[in-house]
Amino acid sequence: MSEPIDPRPATDAETPSSPSPSPPAGRWSGGGGGGSALLHILELLPALVPLAIIVIVLVAMVGTTRGVPFSVLDFLGSSWLVQPPGVAGSSYGVSTFIVGSLVTSLPALLLAMLIALGVAIASVVYLPRIATRFLDPFVDLLAGIPSIVFGLWAFIILRPYFQQSLTPWMAANLGFLPGFAGPVSPTGLGIPITVFILTLMILPISTLLIRDTLRAVPRELWESGLALGATRWEVTRRVSLRYGSRGISSAALLGFSRAIGEAVAVSFLIGGATNFPTNVYSTTNTLSALIIENLDSSFVNPQEFAALAEVGILLTAITLTVNIIARRFVMQLGVHETVV
Amino acid sequence: MSSPSGTNSGGIGPSENLSRRSGGGRRGPMMTAAGVGVVIVVAIIAVVAGWAVGYYTAPSSSNNKNAVTITETGSSLLYPLMASYWAPNYTKLAGTPIALSTASTGSGTGQSYAEAGLVDIGASDAYLSNASATNLVNIPVAISSQLVFYNLPGVTAHLNINGTVLGMIYNGNITNWNDPMIQAANPGVALPNAAIVPLARSDGSGDTFLITSYMYMAWAGWATHGYSTAKLSGTLNSKIQYANGNAGLVTLAAGTPNSITYIGNSYRAASIAKGLVAAALGNSNANTAAGGVNPNNYLLWSSANVSQDANLALTRLNYASYGLALSLIMGGSPYGPTTLHAGGGGTAPTAAYPSPYPDVNLEYTLIKATGSAQGPSHQYYVVQFLYWALGVGNQPVYLSPLGFLPLTSNVVALTYQTLQTVQVSS
Repeated sequence: MSEPIDPRPATDAETPSSPSPSPPAGRWSGGGGGGSALLHILELLPALVPLAIIVIVLVAMVGTTRGVPFSVLDFLGSSWLVQPPGVAGSSYGVSTFIVGSLVTSLPALLLAMLIALGVAIASVVYLPRIATRFLDPFVDLLAGIPSIVFGLWAFIILRPYFQQSLTPWMAANLGFLPGFAGPVSPTGLGIPITVFILTLMILPISTLLIRDTLRAVPRELWESGLALGATRWEVTRRVSLRYGSRGISSAALLGFSRAIGEAVAVSFLIGGATNFPTNVYSTTNTLSALIIENLDSSFVNPQEFAALAEVGILLTAITLTVNIIARRFVMQLGVHETVV
Repeated sequence: MSSPSGTNSGGIGPSENLSRRSGGGRRGPMMTAAGVGVVIVVAIIAVVAGWAVGYYTAPSSSNNKNAVTITETGSSLLYPLMASYWAPNYTKLAGTPIALSTASTGSGTGQSYAEAGLVDIGASDAYLSNASATNLVNIPVAISSQLVFYNLPGVTAHLNINGTVLGMIYNGNITNWNDPMIQAANPGVALPNAAIVPLARSDGSGDTFLITSYMYMAWAGWATHGYSTAKLSGTLNSKIQYANGNAGLVTLAAGTPNSITYIGNSYRAASIAKGLVAAALGNSNANTAAGGVNPNNYLLWSSANVSQDANLALTRLNYASYGLALSLIMGGSPYGPTTLHAGGGGTAPTAAYPSPYPDVNLEYTLIKATGSAQGPSHQYYVVQFLYWALGVGNQPVYLSPLGFLPLTSNVVALTYQTLQTVQVSS
C-alpha cells in the first residue's frame, strides 16, 4: 500500500507530500549514545500521559468515596433520596440513571453513525471536489459549537416544536410501534429532544473521522475494484467501509463517549425525573446530568459527594468497558488484514 | 544554546514548509475565504471582549494600584444584588480602594468555599447550622421571598394554595387541577380537568430550599423528602419536570399549559410579564381541614406581607443560643422556626400568631470569625463592606428592583453585634 489518495480523479496536479523523516537523534543530543536512550524515555513519556490521567482520575475519585460508606445494593437500586448531613435514610440508587444514559446515548449514536456514514461517503465518493471543499469546513465548524449552546438553543427554540408538533405527531402516526403511543411529555422535554441534540453533537466528530478514514483507502484498492466492474457504491461498501472499519468503530466509540458523558446540554433537555422511562417520550435522567445537577449541594454533604464520585467512577467504567469490548471485537473481525 | 539556531539555519526548518504552503496557488480562494471568516470572528470577539472588559473595569477605574479585592461566591439568588447593585456602588465610593469579585455558583459552593477559606464571603440562601464549629459566622444581609406561579389556561384568578396541597402535588398525591382539595380552597373557580405538570429546579437552589422548607413545615407527608438546596429527591410525582435556573423555569412554565412552579422574588416581574399567575399561599393556619377552606388564611405576595412575616419571625430570634441562624418560613406559625433545622434559631411560640405571607427567607453571607485566609487586616475590609451592605446597601433603592426587602432594625442591630465579634485589625 502506498500513500493515501483521494479516489476521485484529481482536477489539477498535486505533488504528493513526501513523508517527513524522523529527525536523527544526534540533532538533539549532540550525537552522544546516552542521549539516544534518554530520547527513547522521553518519547515514552507522552505515550504514558493518557494512562497516567486515567489512573490519577480513578484514584482521586476512589479516594473521595473512602470513609463514607453506603450500601452497594442501594447503589444498584432505583431510589435516589438525599437527606441533609446527619439525617438518616439517604439512599443512592443509580439504576434509573444508567438506563437513562443508555436510552439517550445509544439511539443518538445509531442515528449519528448512519448520518455520518452518509455524509462522509457523499463527501469522499460522490460529491465533486469543489462542493466538498465548500461543505467540509461546515462539518468542522459544527464540531466546534460548545455543548451549552446546543443545550440552550434546543431548550428555547426547539423545545416548543417538539412539544407542540413533533412528539404529538409521532404519537399519532407511530403509535403502532411499542412505546410510541404516548402520552407525550407536556413540556417537550424528554428523550426525543435529548437524542436529537446528542445526535447533532456527535455527528461532526464521527463524520470527520469516517471521512478521513475513507480518504485513507489506498487508490490501488479503489481502482482495482472499479476495474473489476464494480460500481462506486459497490466498491465503497465492499472495500472502503471494510478497509476503514477500524476508523469507523473509533468514530462510534468517540461518539458514544461524548454522548454518555455530556452533562450540561442533557440536563437542560432530559426533564430530570428520577424514573425509568415508560415510553419513548418520557423524561428521565442520566449519570452525567445527575453529577452536574447535584454537585453544588454535595459540597456541604460528604456522603452525597462520595455517591456522586462513585457515579463518576461508574460512568468512566462504562465508557472504558465499551471501549475495550469494541476494540477486541474489531480486532477479532480482522477485516483490515484480510482486505489488504 | 547554539544548537536551536543552528537547526533553523540548516534549511529544513519550518520556515521552508511555511513558504511552500503559502506559495501554493491551489488553495488560494479557500484560504482567502477562511481568512476573511477568521478575521470577522476575531473582530467580533475583540469587540465583545473589549466591551465586556470596559464594562467590568469601569467602576474600579478610580481605584489605586494596591486595591484590595474581596472575593464572594455562592447563592445565585443573591448574585444579581451583589454583582449589579452592591459591587459597583460600593467600589464607586470615593477613597475606597476595594474591588469586589462576585460569582454565582450556588449556596453549597458558597458554604464550602467559605469554610475552606477559598473566598472571603460565601453567600448562602440557607444559614449554616454548625457555623461556629467551622469558625464561620452567619451574617444575614437581605430578606428574600418566593412565589408559586401557575399557567392554567382560562383561570386568571389567584388560586389559594397551601403548603399541604403543594406538597401533595410534588409528592404525587394530587395530580389533577380539579382535585377536591384544590376546589375546596377555591370555591367559585372553574378548575379544568387537566393533569398538573409540576416544575422544579434541576440545579441546586435556594428556591428549592424555600419551597421544600415550606412543604416540610406544612405537611407531615413531605418529611421523607427533607428540605435543602439540593434538587428534589426521593419518590416523587413522576410528572415533575426540571429546568435550570429561575429563568429556565419561567420559560418552561410559560410554554407549558397546566404547569405549576416556584419562582424567586427577583423573577417575579418576569413571570407576570410572561402571563403566569401567582398563587395566594396558605399560612400556617391553612394546613388544617377547616383552615384550608378559609380564604382569610391565604395571602398574596406583597412587600408589606413579606416584611410582616420577617418582623414576626425575627421577634423569635434566640440570638444567645443560635446567633443569627433563623428560618423565616411561616414565621408566624405555631410550628415555629425551631422545628425546621437542628441547631437553627428561634424560640418556640407560646400562642398561635396571625400568620403573614409564609414563603420568606433570610439571605446569608458567611465569613470567618477569626483568622481570614488572607489575614486579619484583610478581614477588616470584608467587615467594612458588610457594614456598608447592612446600612447604605440595605436601602430599597438597591433591593427593590430585585424584589429583596431590607433587614428589620432589630436584626441589623444584632448583625452589627455579630460583626463586632469578628477578629480584624486595620
